Amino acid sequence: MSAMGLYSEHRNHPWVKHLRNALIALILIFLAALALFPIFYMVTSSFGPAIATAGNMRTIFPSSWSLDSYRAFFDFNIYAKRWILNSFIISFSTVVGNVIFASMAGYAFAKIPFKGSKWLFGMILVAMMIPYQVTQVPLYILVVKQFKMSNTYAALILPGIVSSYNVFLAKQFFTSIPTPLLESAKLDGCSHPGIFVKIVMPLSKTVLAVMAINTFMSTWNTFFWPFLVTSKDYMFTIQVGLKTFKFANETLFAPMMAGATLSALPMFILFFALQKYFLEGVTIGAVKG
Amino acid sequence: MMKSQTGIQSRRRFRLTDDDLWGYAFILIAMIAFGVFTLYPVISAVETSFLKYKPFGSEFIGLKNYQDTFSSSLFYKTVLNTLEYTVVVVPLSLLMAFAISIMILPFSKKTQSVFKSMYYLPGIASGVALSVVWLWIYDSSPTGLMNQVFTFLHLPTQNWLSSSKTSMISLMFMALMSGQGSNIIIYIAALLGIDNSYFEAAELDGATFMQKVRYIVFPLVKPTTLFLLVTGVIGSFQVFMNAFMMTGGGPDNSTTMIGLLIYKNAFEYSKYGLACAQAILLAIVIAIISLVQFKMMGVDVEY
Amino acid sequence: MKKFLALLLAAMMLLGMTSAFAEATDTITVMVPPVTGTYLDDIDTWANDFMAEHPEIKVEVIKTSWDDHNSKLNTMANAGEAPDIAEVSYSAIGTYVELGLGVEIDQYMDADRLSDYDQNALDYMSLGGHVYGLPLYITIQALGANKDMLEAAGVDVAKVQTEGWTYDQFMEAIKNGTTENCFGFVFANSGVTAGDFLSIFGVAAGLTNSFTSDLKYAYTSDNMLKLLEAVETMTKSGYMPNYGVEAGQRMVMCQTGNAMIFGKAMPLFENNINKNNKALEANDGTAVENSIPVNYAFLPVPTMEGVTETCFGSVDGLIALRNNNTNDEHLKNVCLFLDYLCSGERAAAVDQTLLLDPVCKSGREAYVSPEGLDEGNVKSAARAISLVVAPPAGITSEQSANAKILMDEVIIPKFQALLAGETTAQDMFDAIVKEAQNVFGAENCVSGQL
Repeated sequence: MSAMGLYSEHRNHPWVKHLRNALIALILIFLAALALFPIFYMVTSSFGPAIATAGNMRTIFPSSWSLDSYRAFFDFNIYAKRWILNSFIISFSTVVGNVIFASMAGYAFAKIPFKGSKWLFGMILVAMMIPYQVTQVPLYILVVKQFKMSNTYAALILPGIVSSYNVFLAKQFFTSIPTPLLESAKLDGCSHPGIFVKIVMPLSKTVLAVMAINTFMSTWNTFFWPFLVTSKDYMFTIQVGLKTFKFANETLFAPMMAGATLSALPMFILFFALQKYFLEGVTIGAVKG
Repeated sequence: MMKSQTGIQSRRRFRLTDDDLWGYAFILIAMIAFGVFTLYPVISAVETSFLKYKPFGSEFIGLKNYQDTFSSSLFYKTVLNTLEYTVVVVPLSLLMAFAISIMILPFSKKTQSVFKSMYYLPGIASGVALSVVWLWIYDSSPTGLMNQVFTFLHLPTQNWLSSSKTSMISLMFMALMSGQGSNIIIYIAALLGIDNSYFEAAELDGATFMQKVRYIVFPLVKPTTLFLLVTGVIGSFQVFMNAFMMTGGGPDNSTTMIGLLIYKNAFEYSKYGLACAQAILLAIVIAIISLVQFKMMGVDVEY
Repeated sequence: MKKFLALLLAAMMLLGMTSAFAEATDTITVMVPPVTGTYLDDIDTWANDFMAEHPEIKVEVIKTSWDDHNSKLNTMANAGEAPDIAEVSYSAIGTYVELGLGVEIDQYMDADRLSDYDQNALDYMSLGGHVYGLPLYITIQALGANKDMLEAAGVDVAKVQTEGWTYDQFMEAIKNGTTENCFGFVFANSGVTAGDFLSIFGVAAGLTNSFTSDLKYAYTSDNMLKLLEAVETMTKSGYMPNYGVEAGQRMVMCQTGNAMIFGKAMPLFENNINKNNKALEANDGTAVENSIPVNYAFLPVPTMEGVTETCFGSVDGLIALRNNNTNDEHLKNVCLFLDYLCSGERAAAVDQTLLLDPVCKSGREAYVSPEGLDEGNVKSAARAISLVVAPPAGITSEQSANAKILMDEVIIPKFQALLAGETTAQDMFDAIVKEAQNVFGAENCVSGQL
């Protein structure tokens, strides 16, 4: 295995190697425990009683265990369950939009020699560098005032439907597909849509999965945009709902943790189900231009 | 912007090939979305930055918003806060991620994955969820969790988020504790990419572990470090969520960073024009950093 | 570009499934926080009643939480999408008028309807001689306490409630009330709640409004310095927490016996505390964790030497705002509903729950005095209301908006630092004076004693 040469194998004294690895593992576990503690604390506390509590009696484990706090969170607003559904609808639609349209654009930029392609792609590259603070105000006015879309799924989904980053990611990956492969399909009478669907897409399952997961995660966790364009509680996403709950019920500690757990739970489930893609996604996402 | 594109083309005999048409068809939706949700807002932001914005009937006031920005002491304070946050969090998080990656390296692929997952997990919870939890951890009363730890260590309890001495440190610590996963994974990928022959050669020369790290690993992961450094800096220039949820920028604006200032100007103080001007200044700074990145990458990345 | 955008707009409309269908009815949007515990449910009922009476009008209610309300309203207003009617505190009106969103409702309402409202309350909702909204109530904000503890600390509660008390008596009381597990006094001071501390104790030093009657900025007076010095003394005394306390925790600390006096407090907290006492008695697991039975006492804020006693009051009400739908016909309907919400049984219901007196005739007629309340508290609240000083007439919207900016951008941040013991009263005062003179001009700021 490559890079393993960094550590000495201690072939003469295997126990040295074992001892060393055990020590390293201990340090790693300790650090990981620290990093994971807030999540752990959030989950355990969410099973506490649904009552107000003063700031001066914090323990790691709740005084009694129950699901009351989850009930309290759902009782807080009749749309609390819908917030989760909303988050799903929005995240899912955004994923579909990106996987289809961003990869189409990525394919065009990578494999179709069309006039102006360099120029347009350059623009997308530049766009990736623009901080969201620049666009937040005008985008908000555009969507709310010009399009009159506040409190609609359209407002929540459309601005993220094709992200520049995903176009870039798709283009980078598709560029690595050998062109002769596509050329021969073309000679067989396959048109671009055919090549795209029959050859490119199947070859790119991993990158598409990664794109889907990253997009899902960032959309699910997005707070700011939904916070701006929703004012009616039935259109909130779970993140906006959680913030509302936090501000409305400062002393309901356990229910707040229940809400936080609920907001993170789908991501945790997804993570454990698709761990490989999550981890791979980080490295693929870090491919640079 | 597509019109101007065709305009350029028409000067040389204009004719669209099949490929051109397919290309445009494939990028159509993406470019429409790009035009409406990115390009137009950027242009509009530039325009708004010259206005005293009012919902009905804005006035053109030239460079006043920029002047106001540069004459506002709060602006400089938030710039300093942002720099302070960046200078501490970015290098420290790279160092931590690098050290942890090196430590994960000797284990089997399977164990590596377990560790990677453990460090990655906190990062998938949303900023809102994490803030809500950390807010309670930083409870300032003597029996708040963090204060209990301090009491246990025989340290004086702290007024975490309510004191300008500790508020920024609290946010930094939280960022360091929750955001290492991606950096670690990227570092490990880079480390695994190092050819073993380097180490074998070093081994023959009798190099120690630290020497190997210093003379082989460091230079070879430099492009990765540079990449993480630049993305880290750009990311931390835009930090908003933790301060927004946990301190509201206080106390005494000690945690107001540029991202939060822009938010407050726009959505709390009703100064859209000023917010746009400051956002554009931020974009310019980020553009400069990115350009420097491309320059440095161009030199360094050839591996 | 314009054409291109127009095309896109059309496409978006289709995609967005927005409610583009033509409406025969006039839709009024109203945005309110939970003014009372049941307000958000009540307003649905009232909206339905109103719609039954006026079939041509459709009412949509946007419900917010207290902490979201103002920033949400601000955000929507700036996009020209303000709700037609929104709940605001009187001090925020100037900001909206400055944005060009205020509606001079006196032009759209019958004079006899307007005369239903008490003039003094209406004054709060007016700027530069125009009425921009209708009042719901005059709230009074002062202190609350555990009555038994207070008496054990040697305070004659009945006397304080009927005659007020001095700052020295207050300091003595919180000193006596402080034990190992209990602070004599706690005031929520985390984040923006720091501002409440300032307004409520401001009256102790004679600061009743940001402006004096001759419209000079008052927070640059020596009274302000005196107040800040008092706050500095208090935070260093050890009789109150020297760390950040979240807004929600102040009353909980009183309920758990960890604090004797707490602020800010309103008369209606008696209901909350009694409810918790009942829950404790029933032992049904809904009471605040580790809480004890508490007898609630509503107390006036202590008064410093040489200052006439007043009480911090604010008028909250509903204002009409301009948005893209605004036209004269629409505004008439808006004002009709605005008036409906602020008068009669609706006003009475709100005021009854908040234990406050209605501020309109029709509200008083419908008002039923709540029963079973502590008599001392009722008297104390009535006395406090009578001590509220109305803002000076003639403040312009610009002055009001500037005062709010100074408060948000200078005073509150600095005050947070003062509470954390990181700046001195003098430094903070100097900073305020400097900024205020910048904004209003030195000649428009009070110097010396008020």
